[in-house]
Amino acid sequence: MAELDFARIFQALPSPFMILDRDLRYVAANPAYEAVVGTPFSALEGNNLFDLFPNEGEEGKRLRASFEHVLATGEPDTIAYINYPLVLPDGTVTNRYWTAVHVPLTGPDGTTAYVMQNTVDVTELVRMREATTLPYTSISAATRLIERTRETEAASAEFRRLFQQAPAFFAVLSGPSHVFTFTSDSYVRLIGGRNVVGQPIAKALPEVIEQGFVDVLDRVYREGHVHAAEGARVMLENEPGRPAEETFLDFSYNPIRDGAGNITGVFVQGMDRTEAVRATRRQRLLIDELNHRVKNTLATVQSIATQTLRNADDVGQARQSLEARIKALSNAHTMLSNRQWHDTEIGHLVCQELSAFGSEQVQYGGPVLVVNAKATVALALVLHELATNAVKHGALSVPEGSLAVNWHEDEDDQLVIEWVERNGPAPAGPARKGFGSRLLHMVITGELGGGLELDYANGLTARLAIPHAAYREGEAALV
Amino acid sequence: MSSIRRKAFVVEDESLVLINLEDMLDQMGWSIIAQAMRLADAERLAASTELPDVAILDVNLGGVQVFPVAQILASRGVPILFATGYGREGLPPEWQSYPVIAKPYTQAEVERALGEVLALHP
Repeated sequence: MAELDFARIFQALPSPFMILDRDLRYVAANPAYEAVVGTPFSALEGNNLFDLFPNEGEEGKRLRASFEHVLATGEPDTIAYINYPLVLPDGTVTNRYWTAVHVPLTGPDGTTAYVMQNTVDVTELVRMREATTLPYTSISAATRLIERTRETEAASAEFRRLFQQAPAFFAVLSGPSHVFTFTSDSYVRLIGGRNVVGQPIAKALPEVIEQGFVDVLDRVYREGHVHAAEGARVMLENEPGRPAEETFLDFSYNPIRDGAGNITGVFVQGMDRTEAVRATRRQRLLIDELNHRVKNTLATVQSIATQTLRNADDVGQARQSLEARIKALSNAHTMLSNRQWHDTEIGHLVCQELSAFGSEQVQYGGPVLVVNAKATVALALVLHELATNAVKHGALSVPEGSLAVNWHEDEDDQLVIEWVERNGPAPAGPARKGFGSRLLHMVITGELGGGLELDYANGLTARLAIPHAAYREGEAALV
Repeated sequence: MSSIRRKAFVVEDESLVLINLEDMLDQMGWSIIAQAMRLADAERLAASTELPDVAILDVNLGGVQVFPVAQILASRGVPILFATGYGREGLPPEWQSYPVIAKPYTQAEVERALGEVLALHP
């Protein structure tokens, strides 16, 4: 078995360790400890701890008493909680809370020659505990947990994990410049994965300054009230390197007080409501669109009813015409609905209207051509009027009559539909301009901006030419 | 029938709705001096047609909005009546003070609305 190099292990430990002799002079310190006190070991070695980090207060006495206890008794000692500010090399003072474990080390003669200290920085736990002194009911359960945290390290890890992984977001800001000292996972996600701990909010999240949130934090810190907002619109860079995006948050800023009642920071908690707000907006848009379509359809049906009643000879015939027209409109809607209201095929539209007739009398065909929703409804109504007319007055009113419907796309990308009736009764010609004829003209030349040629010489021959833009140009997609 | 028929400019993209409106206006003694069913035609006619007594504008023309047409007509001093399935809330703020008829509308509603428009612009 290879011999373990304890000196190297001591150096590599991620937790701060240092060793003092009986005069409380440094004899060893690992890099983790050097980092915490911001001082290289070369500047610590041989110096008395209290000379370098003087503390005449209560906490200093507790620390000294613990060292002396270990040196006198040879028993380890733990300080669960000690508030020990650090003076950093740049002269700034940072207030930190520690749990300190002091272990005796024996010299060659078996007596206690050194004391080794291991410290755990528990500042965040203390800040959270301060936060929970606030009148905020939703974290009262956490308050009790924090009380237990003081007794058991295991529970403290659990508590921190709860905050860390909570679906709500939490952050702790410390001091008058609102330096981040804790951020939960969901908070980090909210701010686009930015590592902000140790930075003042104005530097960490510069986009919130103009939006007034730093001013609000200043007031909370200064005046000690709670600031709460629901559905607040916040522009946040929630993806790295992307511009700020609209976010909707329910959140509160609560002042954090120390034991003496002084405000030491701000506790931030909240929920990201962006998805819910977007869903509500989407729903509003859909309801508006649905309302528009329903009202338009009702206006269409209203017109069909008025026109049918106006042009009918008797009530029984009017009822039949009305039912058939509304059915044609409804069939077009069904076809569109089956394709998410996008488009249909011209072949399906023709088939829908003519499939009731036998193939010996009616023939139709053409390439697969897709037509948009508006043209679908318009053409369904037109084809219905043409078919109705053929059955009543045209080629389909006699057994020997025939109808051929063919369609194609011409060299100008127009959809051309040719409706040819033959062997019908002697054509009456465009005698009176009935509803069907009026609708045909208006749909093809007006609504679809196309061309219409009608010839009654050998039975009705209708040539409908619809520009590409009118039947292919998609409607604005929903959502 | 009165020899001085009032003149309307009509924009409506649904054939059936337009047919119905044509009949309503005819029965009320109005004539349609120009009508359009698509935005481009409507814009062209709005700028070139002789001045009507009123313009009746469907708000949604197959997915595009009629407001560029309304702008042209307003600048020519033409009184405007909007027709929409959305109701007044469907109009953007700058047009909300204009009279609106909600689809589907009856002949009586159109008559009343036209009367109000003419009263505002004698």
